[in-house]
Amino acid sequence: MHNKLTVAIAAAMCSTALMAVPSLADQARPQVCLVMKSLANEFFKDMSIGAEEYAKSRGDFDLKMVGMQSETDFDAQVNAVDTCIAEKKDIIVLAPADSRAMVGPVKRAVDAGVTVVNFDVALDEEAKKAAGLDLAFVGPDNAAGAKEAGDALAKALGNGGKVVILEGNPGADNGIQRKAGFEQSIKDNGLELLDSRTAHWETEEANTVFTTMLTAHPDLQGVMAANDSMALGVVKAIDAAGMSGKIQVVGFDNIPAVSALVKEGKVLATVDQFGRDLASNAIDLGIKSFKDGKPLEGWVKTPIELVTKDNVK
Amino acid sequence: MTDMAPGAPILSVRHISKQFPGVKALDDISLEFRPGEIHALAGENGAGKSTFIKVLGGIITPDQGQMELAGQPYAPSGPNDAIARGVRVVHQEFNLLRHLSVAENLLFERLPRKLGILVDKAEMRRRARDLLNLVGLSQLDPSTPISSLGIAQQQLVEIARALSDDARVLILDEPTATLTPRETDRLFEIVHRLKDQGTSVLFISHHLDEIFAHCDRVTVFRNGKLVATQKTAEIDTDGLVRQMVGREVIHAPIARNVDRSATPALSVSGFQTAINARRPDIAFDLYPGEILGIAGLVGSGRSEVLRAIFGADRPARGRISRNGQPVAIQSPRDALRQGICLVTENRKEEGLILPMSIAVNTTLATVRNISSGGLLDRGKERGIAGQMMRSLDTRMASLQQAVGSLSGGNQQKVVLGKWLLRDPQILMLDEPTRGIDIGAKAEIYTLLRQLADQGVGILVVSSEVPELLGLADRVLVMSRGVIAGELAHQDMSEEAILQLAYAEYAKEQVTRG
Amino acid sequence: MTEMTAKRSPMAAISGVMRNAGIAVALVLLILVFSLTTTTFLTPLNLTNIMVQITLNIILAAGMTFVILIGGIDLSVGSVMALAGVVGATFVSNPELPTWLAILGMIVASCGVGAIAGTINGLISAWWAIPSFIVTLGMLNMARGGALQFTQANTVYIANPAITKFGTATVAGIPVLFLVAVAIIILGWFVLNKTVFGRMLYAIGNNEEAVRLAGHNTLFYKTAAFAICGLGAGIAAIMYMARLTSASPIMGNGYELNAIAAVIIGGTSLAGGRGSMIGTLLGAAVIGVLGNGLILIGASDFVRQIITGAVIILAVILDAVQGRLAAKRKGA
Repeated sequence: MHNKLTVAIAAAMCSTALMAVPSLADQARPQVCLVMKSLANEFFKDMSIGAEEYAKSRGDFDLKMVGMQSETDFDAQVNAVDTCIAEKKDIIVLAPADSRAMVGPVKRAVDAGVTVVNFDVALDEEAKKAAGLDLAFVGPDNAAGAKEAGDALAKALGNGGKVVILEGNPGADNGIQRKAGFEQSIKDNGLELLDSRTAHWETEEANTVFTTMLTAHPDLQGVMAANDSMALGVVKAIDAAGMSGKIQVVGFDNIPAVSALVKEGKVLATVDQFGRDLASNAIDLGIKSFKDGKPLEGWVKTPIELVTKDNVK
Repeated sequence: MTDMAPGAPILSVRHISKQFPGVKALDDISLEFRPGEIHALAGENGAGKSTFIKVLGGIITPDQGQMELAGQPYAPSGPNDAIARGVRVVHQEFNLLRHLSVAENLLFERLPRKLGILVDKAEMRRRARDLLNLVGLSQLDPSTPISSLGIAQQQLVEIARALSDDARVLILDEPTATLTPRETDRLFEIVHRLKDQGTSVLFISHHLDEIFAHCDRVTVFRNGKLVATQKTAEIDTDGLVRQMVGREVIHAPIARNVDRSATPALSVSGFQTAINARRPDIAFDLYPGEILGIAGLVGSGRSEVLRAIFGADRPARGRISRNGQPVAIQSPRDALRQGICLVTENRKEEGLILPMSIAVNTTLATVRNISSGGLLDRGKERGIAGQMMRSLDTRMASLQQAVGSLSGGNQQKVVLGKWLLRDPQILMLDEPTRGIDIGAKAEIYTLLRQLADQGVGILVVSSEVPELLGLADRVLVMSRGVIAGELAHQDMSEEAILQLAYAEYAKEQVTRG
Repeated sequence: MTEMTAKRSPMAAISGVMRNAGIAVALVLLILVFSLTTTTFLTPLNLTNIMVQITLNIILAAGMTFVILIGGIDLSVGSVMALAGVVGATFVSNPELPTWLAILGMIVASCGVGAIAGTINGLISAWWAIPSFIVTLGMLNMARGGALQFTQANTVYIANPAITKFGTATVAGIPVLFLVAVAIIILGWFVLNKTVFGRMLYAIGNNEEAVRLAGHNTLFYKTAAFAICGLGAGIAAIMYMARLTSASPIMGNGYELNAIAAVIIGGTSLAGGRGSMIGTLLGAAVIGVLGNGLILIGASDFVRQIITGAVIILAVILDAVQGRLAAKRKGA
């Protein structure tokens, strides 16, 4: 299914690129404001590099990037959006730090005539409705990705396999969706969920929490970690307990440090959501919408890919 | 108010006892206070006076005994209860809020309101003004923060605060310890006025002359027991001292054979402190074996001179020589290398580490002697500290006792012991006997004379003129930051010193007039 | 005259022992509760797990004890640990270096970075008399930013077998990582109680002015306390890498608060001048046992957080009550 999606997006991108070139001469360069979450997160850092390269290679728009101090610093993000409005940017491409709190500033931007593209994390549907805002979302389906990872684990364990989940930050939307995807997979595949706890995305905490889970449930067979940093900590805990090969781990994000573990077979699977391209895709769709004057609609899903021993780079 | 027969006691205390771990602080105390009387409470530090006034003020609950206030049973549940019943204590340690203004402190319990919730600033200023006038601080702006006041002014504010409610019993714990003679006179004017209004005043002081000059009756405590209560007219100083210490006090023998032809141990010239910033002209010599007194009013720059020589604040402006050789003193470290030590005015804040043991405090300036290779040698520490404390006759339970639990006199002995372990050649002392009982005072005088006889040069700042008269070989008098004059031993008198102390202030008035 | 003299010393001694005893009793109580409510808590495996888990906090808290004793605070240890870790990781993740050089380089780099950051904290706050709270808050941001810049936000994976071996080694069943932490506690205890340096730290914490006027270089002692705390963060970074064979620029986020909590639960006064290394060890153990046991009995994440917070408050109340009792005794 995701292959089809990839093709669709790729086709859309090609056509956009073709259409964009002739209009370059007769239109002013679009001013794009890319507002991201924490650049301390590898995922966003990578994304910002991708966006920068994209802007350089395309060369027909001006890009301003804003990153936050931390994942949850939505106050600073509100300020960033307001600044972009004040600077009369044409397009704001936003990865919301909070799916509800950012609805207000986005509404202000739309009312001021700015084309807004919401990517990475979807703004809350009800909050949008309440604000009278109709806005598309461009981004990966975190739940679907997590479900694919979960399914891969289920396949390895077989029916009735006993698993635990390591969640992301409580309240983080991508964390919530990934957990939902894991849970769906558990239900569909008849796995048994022994425990589910947060390790706040963090390696050392995941190591501590998982070690203790293993003490409480020595019979557990599989782990679903909502990101790869936590998967790293889990793998170390399994090694330390001398259970290598007996407990399977799946993660999410496909960070370089985990690639090696996938090759070794210590991590069964992780999910790549092509973060590097995510912002470029969103910028591209934003420019297209801005030039055509046609608003984006619904959920424009970006590609995700399950990474296993077979396709890891 | 309850009707009372004239002369009936306003406050009577019967068989009050209080036991602390290991010591009986109050032992069966019975005492009566009459309205319109100034009653003195005398006794050495540690005699139980502080505990007694804490019982009266509701801070400590006695183990046994009863109290009656105006014929009603009186058992205060806390300081606020005591104040509500009309018993007000002015403590030695101030209970002022340092960052609030004078006015706010004065009226803290009953800030004037307007519209129910807002503080009526104008009214507050007015009432504060009245209270300040009462204690002679009419120049002080009520909006000044407490933190910027000197210690004497804080004492007067504390007293003014006690006057803000009409106390039936006013207890003053060493109110004059930090006051100048002029401020002290002012305080007694107020006290006499309160007496005439029928207030009963309980007055605690180490200054026996004040007791005889102003008090009607005097009660003496010793070791938690009441020794005697008598009219001041019926006893003299020697008798009172005998009651306090339970033995005869021997005054330190004073021998003066200072060789002023020798090279001065310490010379200071062109000296400048924050107080005399515009006139860098402080200059004097201190000879080996000499006790040189520095007199002057509070705030006349005496402490600043000592601190500057010691390098306590900023590096001093001016020249300092030791035995004729110029020396640079940038910090206390440098001063100590030159054999110069300073006993500061503020024992508790600057001289001692109160929560730490006597042993630690005594060896604080000589840690090298009690360690090898950076490792502490506790045996050596005990030996050295113990020997020093024994030689100073410090009264303590053990060397490991926290120094904060000692009486003032014994605390001061720890400070002195700390410096004596360094074998000082110049010993500077700032108000060395403040808040110290008579017995310990005499011991300190004897010690200073012994040190001088061994060739140590001693510089003493004191606000108690009689102390300087008895102790010093020579006196410098400071006034408004400069040295107003020098008095040789034969010329020293209370009048001469005071005249010089006011000299610079008088000049100011003349030029203004 | 003897009124004041006799009563303080035995009481002070008792209260000192009681203070540590109080935490020890709390720890035993927690262990008892979890032993009775779960079958898994009191197993050798779980106990060694807890030992490994509290290693980092013990080391950070040991350093923090020095700083809090002089009346300071160091908010930067978590971030400094990250910076020290990612810098040290460049040696140990470089496959071209011989093992001995990789390990030595890591130790020197991590400890060096930690100690330098600590020295900067100490010098600035002591020289200009700036509250260490704000100086170390600045360092928190600088070190974190430095770590992110240094790695471009990437997690470094360490495939060095020597460090893996160190991270999982045991002596008589006890993890070596924990033994190192205990050794650091013992060393810290020795320095604080047996050396002139330790004596001066306690003295400065109680009355800095008196120490300065006694001719001591307080700037040196204060700076050294912060340098030790930073060094602790560097050592903690090495332990982190040994345990997790990775170094991430976001590691150690918020660890400063855990370290402070361990120190305070351990009975060290935030005002300075009073406290002990043993208390800190017990404080870290209480936090570790609590976190572990609550997962074992199946308490939810949120309940776990609530209970941990409540324990910190209880510890501070205990501290305040004891402070008041002491003041009452003194005031009498």
